[in-house]
Amino acid sequence: MELLPDRLPWFIGGPLIGLLVVALYAVANKHLGVTTSYMQVVTFVRSPRMAEMWRVWFFGGLVVGSLLATFLGGGPSPSLNYGALGDLLPIAAIVPVLFVAGVIMGFGARWGGGCTSGHGIGGAAILSPGALVGIVTIMGTAIGLTIIMHLITGGVL
Amino acid sequence: MNPFTFLVGLGFGFLIVATRLSDYTVIHDMLLLREPDVFLLMGASFIVAMPLLWMLRRRNWKTPLGGELQLNRVEVERKHLYGGVLFGAGWATAGTCPGPALGMTLGGGMLGIFVMAGLATGIFLRNGVARHILLRRDATLHPARPTANS
Repeated sequence: MELLPDRLPWFIGGPLIGLLVVALYAVANKHLGVTTSYMQVVTFVRSPRMAEMWRVWFFGGLVVGSLLATFLGGGPSPSLNYGALGDLLPIAAIVPVLFVAGVIMGFGARWGGGCTSGHGIGGAAILSPGALVGIVTIMGTAIGLTIIMHLITGGVL
Repeated sequence: MNPFTFLVGLGFGFLIVATRLSDYTVIHDMLLLREPDVFLLMGASFIVAMPLLWMLRRRNWKTPLGGELQLNRVEVERKHLYGGVLFGAGWATAGTCPGPALGMTLGGGMLGIFVMAGLATGIFLRNGVARHILLRRDATLHPARPTANS
């Protein structure tokens, strides 16, 4: 069953995400951000009483929403593919590379107080100076490094 | 509160997957500046959210579940640069970030689970470092306090 288009266009998805940011602030006075919800889920698993429950519920929503879109888009397609990175690296190399990339992202998001969602979507929307510097730094680094990797690998990545 | 934040998460997770932000190639093409869609998506979100939140704040909006609206603005600090550089490096490598990594994994991109495991590890590594720094600062300020050795 495929009820969703192959890719929902940016001019529909973008404004709807903006409305979610507004709704979370306008109704609950909370700032949208995904990294902190990861943190609270792990905290919840270790000691449930210490967790900020609204973030655990938010994460639960992310899971259900992702699954809903997956199934409306034709269902999950299990694979070990990983785009151009998967073509470049054997599976034994890609697993540690992805893990370390995740560690760096998690560490950086906590250090800098936000990730692509907390700084780039939530923080930008409230014109938070720290978040704007954060997302510009994130974007600049990621674009620069991606282009460098593209050149080093002769266009494979 | 919780059912509401669940619904916001549901909408966000749905849109991440439906707009294919959970696809390595979409993010990789964005960061290679091959296609503008993700930049436009973030811009469109900003254009919608910014004026609405500005207006609500100006009117001292009382939120039904969380008291008077307080926008969580933060001043610029060095940590925004350091953290941003690290996060950007990881993002460029994995071609995915915390929300999309979850969507990728649930959509069948099984390698996404290693990014998620890394994220959880990195988050708590940084929390540990932050705690260590706080304790050390505390020890310098109050040498006699027993918390310094705990």
